[in-house]
Formats: sequence, C-alpha cells, structure tokens
Amino acid sequence: MYGDLANKLVLEAKRTKQLNGRNNQRYALPMYHEELVQGILREVNQLKRNSEFLKDQQQLALMDDKISKCQYFVTLLCMERNKRCLLAYQKVRSDILNSLAWENNGLDIMSGLIGAEQDTSDLSHQEQDYLKEYTELLTELKSGELADIDLSGSLTPPSDVFIDVRVLKDAGEIQTEYGAFNLIKDSQFFVRQSDVERLIQQGYLQKI
Amino acid sequence: MGYYDVDDILADSAEFSCKFQYDMPGLGYLAGNPGRAIDKNARLDLPLWLARILAIVGGSEDEYDTEEAVPFVELLPPEIFSPKVINAIKADPTAIDLHSISSHFLTLSLKWIALFGDEDLASICSSMTLLRALEINAHASSVNFASTAEIASPFLLTLDESEKKLYRRSHEAYREHKRWMVER
Repeated sequence: MYGDLANKLVLEAKRTKQLNGRNNQRYALPMYHEELVQGILREVNQLKRNSEFLKDQQQLALMDDKISKCQYFVTLLCMERNKRCLLAYQKVRSDILNSLAWENNGLDIMSGLIGAEQDTSDLSHQEQDYLKEYTELLTELKSGELADIDLSGSLTPPSDVFIDVRVLKDAGEIQTEYGAFNLIKDSQFFVRQSDVERLIQQGYLQKI
Repeated sequence: MGYYDVDDILADSAEFSCKFQYDMPGLGYLAGNPGRAIDKNARLDLPLWLARILAIVGGSEDEYDTEEAVPFVELLPPEIFSPKVINAIKADPTAIDLHSISSHFLTLSLKWIALFGDEDLASICSSMTLLRALEINAHASSVNFASTAEIASPFLLTLDESEKKLYRRSHEAYREHKRWMVER
C-alpha cells in the first residue's frame, strides 16, 4: 500500500524527537535513512506516472467520469501524504542541525563534528551542506551589526566569578588576565568563569 | 498541530473502516490485490488521510442529476467511538485506558468532530479532557526532587500522546519551580 514507507519514516522522526527530548543538553542525529527516502521518491514517481496516465484517459473519455476522478484523487492524495511525511522528517532533522549550529558557536562545525557527539557520516550530503551554510549565516549574523551582543552565550546567570573546571580534551595553551593555562586532559583549574565560558560550551572544559 | 507535526501525521495514519459507494476498477491495490476492482459496498480499512477526502468529495457534481452527490466512500462509525467506549468515558473519564484504545485518541476525536460536527462527542470529549487534565496535574505535581526516575502509576500508562505531552510539560514546570525554591 502506498504510504507505508512514509509512515516508517515518520515513526523514525518521532523516535529521533523522543531521543533528543530526553537529554536536552546534547543533540544528536541518528543515521539518515537514505534507502527509505529513495523508496518513497520512487513511489512518488510511480504515482506521478499513474496520474498522468489517468489524466490522458480522462481526456479520451475512455472511462466513467467519476471513477477516473476517484482514481485520480487517490493517486494525488498518496503523493500529498508522501510529501508531507518526507518534509516532516527533514524538518525534524534540520531543526536539530540548527540547534547544533547554535551550540557549537563560532567553532567550525564540520571539524567540530569529528570526534564530537555528532558523527558526520550520519548526515546526508545535503544536510552537511545545509549545516555548513547555516553556520556561515550564523557567524555572519554574529559578526555583523550585532557583534557587541553575545548571542550564543549561556542563558543561565553565573553563580560565582571563579569556578573549578576540569579539562576534557587537550586544547593547548590559553592566555587569560591571570596568566597562561596549559590545558592538558584531566587536569583541573580554578579560573574566572567569563574567561572559559566559550571553552565550556565547546566541550573542552567541564564545570565541577 | 501543523503541517510538520509528527504526531499529527501519525494520527492521520490511523485506519477507519469505510464502505465504497461505487464500483471502482483499478483501485484494488488499496485492498492488497492490485489490478482488481473494488466492488460497491465493499468494506475496507483506509487511513484517515485518504478516507477523509474521499468521504467528502462526491462522484458526480450537479451536472445532470439534481440529487446530492454521493461521496466515493462512506465512513462507518469507527471502533474507537463505539457506544461501549463512549459509555466507559461517561462512567469515569479517569479510569478509561485511552492508550490502549488509540494512542492518538484526542487528536483523532478532534478530527472526527471537525469532520462531522458531532456535538455530543465534542461535549463528552471536552469534559473528559478537563477531568483527565486535573488528574494529570495531580500526578505531575508529586515531584520527588531526589530521583528523576518516575514510578509509573497505572494511570500514567493510560495517557494518549497529547496527554503525555501535557504531563511531561507540567512535570517539568513543577520540577523547575521546586528547584528555584531550593536554590533561593
């Protein structure tokens, strides 16, 4: 039956949504279902051929008017349904990509993805392009007229000026007002929060 | 609710039994045997996204017959709104297991009411939603701050998808509120 494949895709989208709803800190996308999507596209092409055939027949008046109309409607509705399912699936995924782009602010996202929680191979080519261009748009926005406002900064107000942080990934040396820190994995520092805010967001440091 | 709403799409795929009002050659693939015809008065389970339109659109428009156009299919009273279910709702809205009837019961009932203007069903559903919302709120407010793992009470297993969403939201709100009170 037409629409069964599309249903599977929407169930997949629902699962993705639930996975991301549970731990709202980290966003991650499961594999892109290339095969399912291709299957649905094939279905739509077939439906298109069917509808063109039906249209021709209607013009030749080979069949009863209302019957061909009904057949035509069914093919159209199946196409509509498939379209809606495909779009909804893509929307769920691109929404997650958007939030990924906002979170890994400033960082070149494609390089950030490697070894990070999101695996690049789970994205389709179009999605990779989309993510790249969306990130470019974001950096443009941030460096444009709104450069003075830290748009992607943390929304929770700081509790202390100085905090303890632990290094999760090697990040080399950083310079702050209070001297230089060499960020080696698993070491701990007592630093000013505003200095390391970015690094915490990018996942290099963890607040203790 | 919206074009991209995943839950709405899933609710749309629920199947309703329909009766065909015309002989339909070439639509046999709907019944699982392609190439064959569907006979008049044949009963078939069609997903709502298909049945909804076919039940509205008529066969012949007022060109030659003055009668009201008969739609392609007739939607039969569905199982989920059978008198048995309605009576159970009337008896005790909080005791009925909506999830086992249909996991999108409320969305489907909304669609059904919009389609047929069924006022009785509308008033029953709205009072049920209200009473159940109160119960959901009571469950959500019992927040145990230490453990986030919720102990599933039997009532929570009977919620349909939209009620689950409501429960999750109010639970979160209560938890945030409590956290704020503690941190102050």
